Amino acid sequence: MTNDLRSADLLEPPWTTTTKPYGTALLELARERPEVIALGADLTRQTETDLVRDALPDQFVNVGMSEQHLMGVAGGLARAGRCVFVHTFGAFATRRPFEQVALQLAYPRLNVKVIGFMPGLSSPGGPSHQAVDDVALMRALPGMLVCDVADATEVRQAVRLLADHDGPCYLRLKRGEVPVLFGPAHGLDLARAQWLRRSGADDVAILASGMLVATALRAADALAAAGVAATVVNVPVVKPLDRATVLEAASGVRAVVTAENHSVVGGLGSAVAEVLAEEGGGPPLRRIGVLDTFARASSAPWLFRHHGLDVQTVVATAWGALGRPGTPPPADDVAVETGQYAPV
Amino acid sequence: MAGRVTDGTNAAIGDVAVASPVGGGVWRTAPAEVLAPLAARRPPTSDPGELAAAARRIRRRAVEMVAPSGLGYLGQAMSSAEVFAVLYRAVVRHGTDYVVLSPGHYVISHYAAAADAGLLDEAALATYGTDGSWLESISTERTPLLAATCGALGQGLSVAAGLALAATLVGADRRTYAFCSDGELEEGQVWEAAMFAAHRQLTGLTAVFDCNGSQVDGPVASVTTVEPIADKWRAFGWDVHEVDGHDVGALVAAFTAARRTGGPSVVLARTTMSRGLPPSLRSGDTHFITLGPGDADAARRELAAP
Repeated sequence: MTNDLRSADLLEPPWTTTTKPYGTALLELARERPEVIALGADLTRQTETDLVRDALPDQFVNVGMSEQHLMGVAGGLARAGRCVFVHTFGAFATRRPFEQVALQLAYPRLNVKVIGFMPGLSSPGGPSHQAVDDVALMRALPGMLVCDVADATEVRQAVRLLADHDGPCYLRLKRGEVPVLFGPAHGLDLARAQWLRRSGADDVAILASGMLVATALRAADALAAAGVAATVVNVPVVKPLDRATVLEAASGVRAVVTAENHSVVGGLGSAVAEVLAEEGGGPPLRRIGVLDTFARASSAPWLFRHHGLDVQTVVATAWGALGRPGTPPPADDVAVETGQYAPV
Repeated sequence: MAGRVTDGTNAAIGDVAVASPVGGGVWRTAPAEVLAPLAARRPPTSDPGELAAAARRIRRRAVEMVAPSGLGYLGQAMSSAEVFAVLYRAVVRHGTDYVVLSPGHYVISHYAAAADAGLLDEAALATYGTDGSWLESISTERTPLLAATCGALGQGLSVAAGLALAATLVGADRRTYAFCSDGELEEGQVWEAAMFAAHRQLTGLTAVFDCNGSQVDGPVASVTTVEPIADKWRAFGWDVHEVDGHDVGALVAAFTAARRTGGPSVVLARTTMSRGLPPSLRSGDTHFITLGPGDADAARRELAAP
């Protein structure tokens, strides 16, 4: 029943990066499946859908800057039998058209995939562009599958898996350079969280989603060097949450840490807290994420450090949750060259 | 999964017990008990006398649906009776064309007109607005015979544009009719949809607005200025047909002309919510009428056959 390490084809750092994994995968899917249609509201290159626009113009529609209308058109196309992928930045896909997503997509359970780019603090654009509450909003909608993947390999696999999932989905995607953490044998499973590190005698379990998965892996390395064994679980699907794996990860450890590029209100940390509280008797939980605040318009590395979404904060949080004395071990900064990726 | 794209349409209404001519989710299942048998289907007609009689029956049904509790959207049925009579008896090809009901409050007219067309079981109308009924007082995903709907105002035209776009992409002979209300013009999304439909030249899309000049807080003109409505739609690139919304002949002509345009078309039906109501109910708040004990009888007398 348990999900072992074999389904994860985890590569060793330094991780490389790639560009347009999403657009490439969507184009491939759209070529195979004429019922697939890519919708956007401006931001075509930014959402990698220029690849579909240029190769398959009949399967691409730009409705202009009108996100409420965008969701309505998506609903109409889906009701007429299309498999609709809707694209904009995550902040614009979930805040302004929340009612339209709720009533025209989620409530009728239509086959529409809402793709929100620039998750959390990966946007330098300040509160207007930073989707730090998108997971919370989408998670509140009945029937909505909410997905935050960790790397380019998962992005490619998610496109196909979401297309095969007959119902509404929300997928948040890093824009630009996307790290490659997983090899081709990796198997993303929408029903399963996935063990990435596991010793069988772990002190702490780190449950991470999206961009914080790489961060959690690096933190686990730093903790291991200081004699702390950390489980790392990749939780790509925040809803429906893989309850069994969450509980299994929490059993036998002395602390659980969640890590997400999102507000600690309503996202992965909240979802895990709900499961642990309902089960009762579990270890203490610490949540890493944006601490119920609006952020500034600054670079992603600065924001990740400033708001504690960095490796050192994950290390310190786990260290503190375990009640270890003294200073937490330092997380070494990894020097990366162009085309390589390391979390801050 | 690969293959020819269809527009997802199921069998025609009445042939199978489906709630809607389109697919889409677990809620759109079969309320077979509220659908009329295929033999009950009434043939389409453009005869003004027949259509006027149909509008009168729609009003009478609306009074009977509201009478038991005294609550419902009677004024909406009064202002839209001719529009729905013409749509459901003369214009819409049931089982082929899409009908989107943007203001879900008007679903009372949809029920009454669908019964008149022989699509909905006449006896089911008695369950309007009662707990657990298929015939809810504001339309939902459970509502039979609609391609899409919304209760939160201003969303329907976008969905209709998506349906019309889907039909256009596969070259289907399938029109989309979006019923909307003039109060919805205050919602910005309506104008997003207006720009999009004209830009894409969605010839298969016809919107009809019930311009009854009424919203919850009173006359629309007292709340904000939506006029000049016709000029606005023309400026947005739509083919505009402005008519007396209680004149069935003018409505038939407008919908006929709307079908022949090379882009999206809109029928602006100028109406009043007091149409067909007895004098005692013509003043006061016609947006949400409470039908008192004597009112139903007065309304029945008013609507008796001439």
